[in-house]
Amino acid sequence: MSPVVCNGQSVELSEEGFLVDPSLWNEELAVLLAKAEEGLDQLTDDHWSVIRFIRGHFVANNNAPMVRSICKTTGVPLKRIYELFPSGPAKGACKLAGLPKPDGCV
Amino acid sequence: MPELDELESRLDALTEADFQQGLEVFRGKLKKAEASYLNSCVHCGLCASSCHYHRMDSTLENIPAHKLELISSVFKRNFTTMGRIAPGLVGAKPFDREMAKAWIDAVFGRCSLCGRCSINCTIGIALPKIFRAARAALGAMGLVPPDLQATVDNSLLHGNNMAVTKQDWVETVQWIEEELQLETGDPGAKLPLDKQGAKFLFTVNPREPKFFPLSLQASAKVFWAAKEDWTLASDGGWDLTNYGLFNCNDEQAGTITKHLVDAMARLGCKTLVIGECGHGYGAARWEGPEWLRKSYPFEVKSILELMDEYVRDGRIQLDPSKNTAPVTLHDPCNLVRHGGICEAQRRVLRKATTNFTEMTPNRVENFCCGGGGGQLAMARYKQRRIQSGGMKAEQIKASGAKVVVAPCHNCIDQLMELNKEYQLNVQIKTVAEMVAEALIPNP
Amino acid sequence: MEPLHLGVLLAGAWAILTLVFLHLNAKAYGKRTLYSKPAGDSVQGVVYAFTKGMAPWAKESVRMNLPSYAAGMVFHAGVFTAFGLLFAAIFGLELPPSLVFLARILTVGGVLGGFSLFGKRIFKPQLRGLSCPDDFVANLLSSLFVLLALTWTFSPALAGVWMSEAILLLVYAPLGKIRHCFFFFTTRYHLGAFFGRRGTFPPRA
Repeated sequence: MSPVVCNGQSVELSEEGFLVDPSLWNEELAVLLAKAEEGLDQLTDDHWSVIRFIRGHFVANNNAPMVRSICKTTGVPLKRIYELFPSGPAKGACKLAGLPKPDGCV
Repeated sequence: MPELDELESRLDALTEADFQQGLEVFRGKLKKAEASYLNSCVHCGLCASSCHYHRMDSTLENIPAHKLELISSVFKRNFTTMGRIAPGLVGAKPFDREMAKAWIDAVFGRCSLCGRCSINCTIGIALPKIFRAARAALGAMGLVPPDLQATVDNSLLHGNNMAVTKQDWVETVQWIEEELQLETGDPGAKLPLDKQGAKFLFTVNPREPKFFPLSLQASAKVFWAAKEDWTLASDGGWDLTNYGLFNCNDEQAGTITKHLVDAMARLGCKTLVIGECGHGYGAARWEGPEWLRKSYPFEVKSILELMDEYVRDGRIQLDPSKNTAPVTLHDPCNLVRHGGICEAQRRVLRKATTNFTEMTPNRVENFCCGGGGGQLAMARYKQRRIQSGGMKAEQIKASGAKVVVAPCHNCIDQLMELNKEYQLNVQIKTVAEMVAEALIPNP
Repeated sequence: MEPLHLGVLLAGAWAILTLVFLHLNAKAYGKRTLYSKPAGDSVQGVVYAFTKGMAPWAKESVRMNLPSYAAGMVFHAGVFTAFGLLFAAIFGLELPPSLVFLARILTVGGVLGGFSLFGKRIFKPQLRGLSCPDDFVANLLSSLFVLLALTWTFSPALAGVWMSEAILLLVYAPLGKIRHCFFFFTTRYHLGAFFGRRGTFPPRA
């Protein structure tokens, strides 16, 4: 997939649009990915609290959090998560938070 | 891409012994049915249009017979007299690096093992049987795409394919139980865990607890309404998936099946109930006993069959006016064509909705969504997966439906992507979600 | 007995014996013991596979490719007719004019079908890409056989050429893809048994 250019730096994306190197993530990149991958022009506070929680969890545990943890920690209701990220928590939220693609049926 | 390199470097490092090992494993997968298949293809080419890959990208490489030929050319060269005497005449070819690469591209990269070509073959060759043997051979040579293998390894290591911990799973079940109690207003609504001697052990796709628990809640709501005696396993044996069906390593597949068999024995349940999942049903219902080389001492059913029985026996009452948007139904290959479950979901949907339209074609002739056969796990083939899914997207558009029901979580994920890529503007739901929506609470 | 007649019979015996050998060879791969509980009946599946499952409307591949399907059908009908004529020629059976007339129609169809499929294989790039020399040899031998059978009905003097060609065809038949004349049946049987057991064949609704 063609790379995204962020602050003059070219960042490589996998076939699925996930960061090839998750460590390169930053918040500007999340904004760019949101636009390119999810068609989101604006990230609201709710978006950010979900993205930041997922990112923090990933940095600490090297995996994606359960959607339950996302809801419980951020206070965003489950159904709202699916509205915020049309591609869902995995291909939507986790992607914007710079995680690699989770294994399994996603 | 690092992953691609991994497979490429593995290809470069192949030794003669690896090829011999691959051939041996391949040969071991063949019984007389497969031997007959490998003697039958007449290269008529009529299978081309049956394949969703070829429909959306009509190259030679996407013709099922061409994929088959890559494999049978090696078969001829190594296992037939004519292939040894006159390889040029009968198209026999050696199994070398180039051929191994072509096999990977054909059987992992251009096939979802959906079996639509079997039904349409002029002769009657069940091609996926041969493709599976080839995948197994490649596996023995260390040539399974790493992300597909990682999904299998997760199951082997963690007991589920997304590496969900026991604590995370149990907490999610408890959370969904609270949500269900809120939804039904019944504090007695439960998602029982480890209930000894329950009639049904219900199993789910890890994608549900991890990211999409609403379908689990919907299934639980149906069981609640039917006053069913059911349980979930807290540890080992709650995950219905088995990607061993896709890497075609029967030993690993058998080990994963054993998680379910052991949970059934541990909890003393009568019937193993597979949630809405095509490959999971195929793996548990059909292939599991073959991998383990013994019959199960219990029954296996799809939740679709149970819902069908509930509706038929009046154990649940449905109000179809709760689902009035035009609905269509996707037929997962492993559940319908390869699984034999075809009408139950239709009977249920007709009772749960007011505006149900079939896709064309449907049932045994259905098109794969494009995400089957492990495609969803193999990132390198994403473009092809989305492109081949165009067939399904066209079908959905033509149906005029606003809701696509898919009794398979794998298909659902692919359909969600198709929805985005092809701007279908549909909702994608499980059968249980439709039923849960239409449930009339019991008096 | 005339040497050519004997030659044809010997070639026929070779073809049958080689097919038997190939069949035994395939059988030696062994039967798969199945442990899963059947959902349907494999016998019913086999019956379906050989009856309704072969109807032109039962398969999308046929519905979408009717000209090719028709060409294949008349080609095969022509081949079978030509073998009937060969049998009559060798054993000196006197055919009534009506039957000769019918045989001519069927062999004309066979020739047209055979050569049109040959042309399709040459001129359609994908089908050419799918082909190996055996595909062309098998078609040519069979199409020529039908053509010579047709000409023989007009001019019995051509019997020698025809029978020589028939010997070639029969000797070649089990070596290449013409072996599907036998394996078609075992393959279809296995397909029917598989989908029958799974409850997919015969399709409902």
